[in-house]
Amino acid sequence: MTSSIWNKVGTVIGAVLILVWCLLPVAWIISLSFKSQEAVTNGSTGFFPKSGGGAGWSNYKDVIQDDQFGRAIINSIGISLIATVLSVIFATLAAYAIARLEFKGKKFVLTTALVIAMFPVVSLVGPLFDMWRTLGIYDTWLGLIIPYMSFTLPLAIWTLSAFFREIPWEMEQAAQVDGATSWQAFRKVIVPLAAPGVFTAAILTFFFAWNDFVFGISLTSTENARPIPAALSFFVGADPFNRPASLLAAGAVVATVPVVVLVLFFQRKIVAGLTAGAVKG
Amino acid sequence: MTSPTGVRIATAVAASVLATGLLTACGSDDGKATLNWYINPDGQDTLNQLAETCSTDDYTIKIQLLPSSATDQRTQLARRLAAKDSSTDLMSLDPVFVPEFANAEWLLPFEGDLADQVLDDDVLKGAAETVQWDDKVVAAPQWANTQVVWYRKSLAEAAGLDMTQPVTWDQIIDAAADNDGTVGVQANKYEAYVVWINALIQGAGGNIIDPATAEDGRDAKVDVDSDAGRKAASVIAKLADSPARQPDFTTSNEGTSLGRMYPENGAGEFMVNWTFVYKNYEGLIGKPGGPADDQAFDDLGWARYPQTVAGEESKPPIGGIDIGVGAYTKHPDFAQQAAVCITDAKAQTALAVNDGLMPSRQSVYDSAELKEAYPHDLLQLFSESIDSGGPRPKSAFYSQVSSAIQSRWHSPASVNENTPKKSAEFLEAVLKGEALL
Amino acid sequence: MSHAATAPPRDSDRARAENSLGRRLVAPAIVLMLLVTAFPMLRALYLSLFNYSLTAPDDREFVGLSNYWTALSDSLFWRDTANTVGIMIVTVAFELVIGFAFAMVMHRIIFARGTIRTSILIPYGVITVVSGFAWQFAFSNTNGFVNGWLPFVGDDFNWFSEYPSSMVAIMASEIWKTTPFMSLLLLAGLAQVSDDMIEAAKVDGASWWQRLYRVILPNMRSAIMVAVLFRALDAYRIFDNIFVMTAGANNTESISFLTYRQVIEQFQLGIGSALSVLLFLSVLVVAFVIVKLFRVNLADARQEA
Repeated sequence: MTSSIWNKVGTVIGAVLILVWCLLPVAWIISLSFKSQEAVTNGSTGFFPKSGGGAGWSNYKDVIQDDQFGRAIINSIGISLIATVLSVIFATLAAYAIARLEFKGKKFVLTTALVIAMFPVVSLVGPLFDMWRTLGIYDTWLGLIIPYMSFTLPLAIWTLSAFFREIPWEMEQAAQVDGATSWQAFRKVIVPLAAPGVFTAAILTFFFAWNDFVFGISLTSTENARPIPAALSFFVGADPFNRPASLLAAGAVVATVPVVVLVLFFQRKIVAGLTAGAVKG
Repeated sequence: MTSPTGVRIATAVAASVLATGLLTACGSDDGKATLNWYINPDGQDTLNQLAETCSTDDYTIKIQLLPSSATDQRTQLARRLAAKDSSTDLMSLDPVFVPEFANAEWLLPFEGDLADQVLDDDVLKGAAETVQWDDKVVAAPQWANTQVVWYRKSLAEAAGLDMTQPVTWDQIIDAAADNDGTVGVQANKYEAYVVWINALIQGAGGNIIDPATAEDGRDAKVDVDSDAGRKAASVIAKLADSPARQPDFTTSNEGTSLGRMYPENGAGEFMVNWTFVYKNYEGLIGKPGGPADDQAFDDLGWARYPQTVAGEESKPPIGGIDIGVGAYTKHPDFAQQAAVCITDAKAQTALAVNDGLMPSRQSVYDSAELKEAYPHDLLQLFSESIDSGGPRPKSAFYSQVSSAIQSRWHSPASVNENTPKKSAEFLEAVLKGEALL
Repeated sequence: MSHAATAPPRDSDRARAENSLGRRLVAPAIVLMLLVTAFPMLRALYLSLFNYSLTAPDDREFVGLSNYWTALSDSLFWRDTANTVGIMIVTVAFELVIGFAFAMVMHRIIFARGTIRTSILIPYGVITVVSGFAWQFAFSNTNGFVNGWLPFVGDDFNWFSEYPSSMVAIMASEIWKTTPFMSLLLLAGLAQVSDDMIEAAKVDGASWWQRLYRVILPNMRSAIMVAVLFRALDAYRIFDNIFVMTAGANNTESISFLTYRQVIEQFQLGIGSALSVLLFLSVLVVAFVIVKLFRVNLADARQEA
């Protein structure tokens, strides 16, 4: 009986450790964003601002009103959303074919997806820079959307084909037998069943696009198209020689808010997508 | 299954692509020409004002901010120019990048009258040298930077060091070590470290690259492996071993040592740093990190850059900003006119008085406004240092030279008498394309 | 268990129609994936045969394979490769062990499941660059908390002044961010081990340790191996954390960072392209080695995330 109490205690301790592991750096970055820039320049260790070193919300105000960062937020949202929509559309078509149809080259598609997932994107920076500048899409939204789409396709295809395999397709035929047209059957039966999978694939794709750094710093050179991660690394604060830690922290928190919101609301779907439905609940 | 959905999907895709196209085409011209001026973060407020005052009825100057590190600035600008970008009109360039950009034909040379306006006898020699390449005037000097040694007079007194006479590095390191002070430098693995190394080598009479061969590009003669190089290495090694070095010595930059002039505990420091320091401390009187009051501020002293070798004149570093005009600009005449306006005496006065960015023209040093904003002897020290300063190698491959030196001379804790030789061999191999940098 | 329609006999009209439809549906995805990878790689292969500096475009000259020779005979290349492999091995090892522990805890948790899952996903969703900054500031000796929390480290210790401590900081950021994701993958594998087998082992008197070693782990083998493959390749391509935390100082460069520097900072498109090709080939080599060494089931890899 004691072993089962040990089990329970161990599990609780484990749960607490997991929470601390995941949330400590986030709490740290938030605490950093409340230190004043002067305090940081002169050195202010620890989690809480020293007396007189607190900045309240001023770092957040500065960050949001900053032209370059404000533009970066717009860039990130726009580019990530467009890339996500287009990528999910392409992936849905491909995943439908993979899950439902027999055709030559299925293995080729899956192997290509695997190779893309393993690809070192830094290798593409040189040739893409060359190609994009010749085509005139260097430092534009389109110049980033295209690589984002390519590199999010494997994950989207895998997630969607796993979902599609679970859909009971014969219900579509049953609906048609009951008198629905093929379009109605598709819309009323299949779409609701497929929608969660598509939605999950969209979220995972969005995370990937939101997170990109390499393309963001190499295929842009001004705030025209620079996304948030790249913009963060070019932040300039009051002290031009050192990274403005507290300002950056505020920017980082702003960049993390959409992620946290998505995770809070769609945690189940995301987990299901990542583990292809094996983890229940 | 395909027809209705296929059409719907195709329209969705087409709509998105169209939307993307429209979004990327954002930013249309509306009458007046816009000149984009890419600036580095020094003196932003004044530069913004300059952009306004120098805008005319024909054109508006719009400021774009570059990252704070010189290397990042170069990367951003070079990529735009390599992509033949027509919206890069004016650029604030670190003087060491001017040869590289000029050699790549990315800078529009100034000719005739404009060249005479931009470069005349009023411009100090050190600054004037940085804008000439291949017998052409390729940029306009705006402000000139140099380093002096800033120190606490009380510390120098306690050490018995007479700062009115030229001092050597050995002397200030010993003085700080024996009197609870420190020596502040820039020794992180970045450009300012090369500034220090270059100044040490030139102060001992040597050069990283033989200046007569610098324009030969890859065939330039590497001179680091010399007595001068070894003397420079010994200074760095001495500071690395001395109790006078600061705890973040190996990652120090212009900002990290500022806080140690007026520390909570300790006697202060001898710090080599750029000209902005005076205004920096003046603005911090009574604030953390700065002098406690006016009296403490008066304890701040300045002297010429330390000598590497006793008796041999020191070569203070030269920096600053030159304004270049992009070769692919749609408005070459406007851009060059604007360049003349933002580098004239008035502009330089404003930068000096407001931001501590010193002029490159002698007449501005003699002006009333500057005499009011700065102590007379400090002004004299600045203009002297700029006039007799030592520029870094003027090579089109400067960025490789700098990176090669950085890679072999960092960390400063590992510098010894073999370092010059190793770095010379490495630099030669890199220039020939036989080694990875 | 697939619900796919049963395949009609070959060469029938229906089979041909299905074949053609299938290929048309996957075409856009395939075209896009290859456009952005295969074509630029071929171009990189072409450019790698030249001595080509972007700042001196007129001096471009054909040098054949000498760029490859320069790269492969340079100690910097091998040092960075060793760095990268070292990071890969150490981070994956830590992530496996800690991730597995987390997975076991999550497997047993009934209460607060939602909260735990949410927190597990936060490191996954946090931008890598943000994690890099967070840990860089955490390890900073002027603004961080690590020096204060670790009793055996002086308050002035500068983690970023030397190689070993810089690597620790970089790996801390990597491990922090990806262990939770790894634990999710392992949890999925764990959930698939049938409870009956574990019960049977318990009835047979096996201890907790034996149950782990002889029942659970062997049945999770394929899930673990796929997770290891993906994580290892991710670690091999490490870039963001190094860029942000040390910018390659103190010899902490990875092979990706070296390639980036050559192309973007040095503007040496010739040798940069050679390095790009070598980087790609080395990833293939590493993947091959892992697959063979751990006998990863590629079919599983192709169909799972």
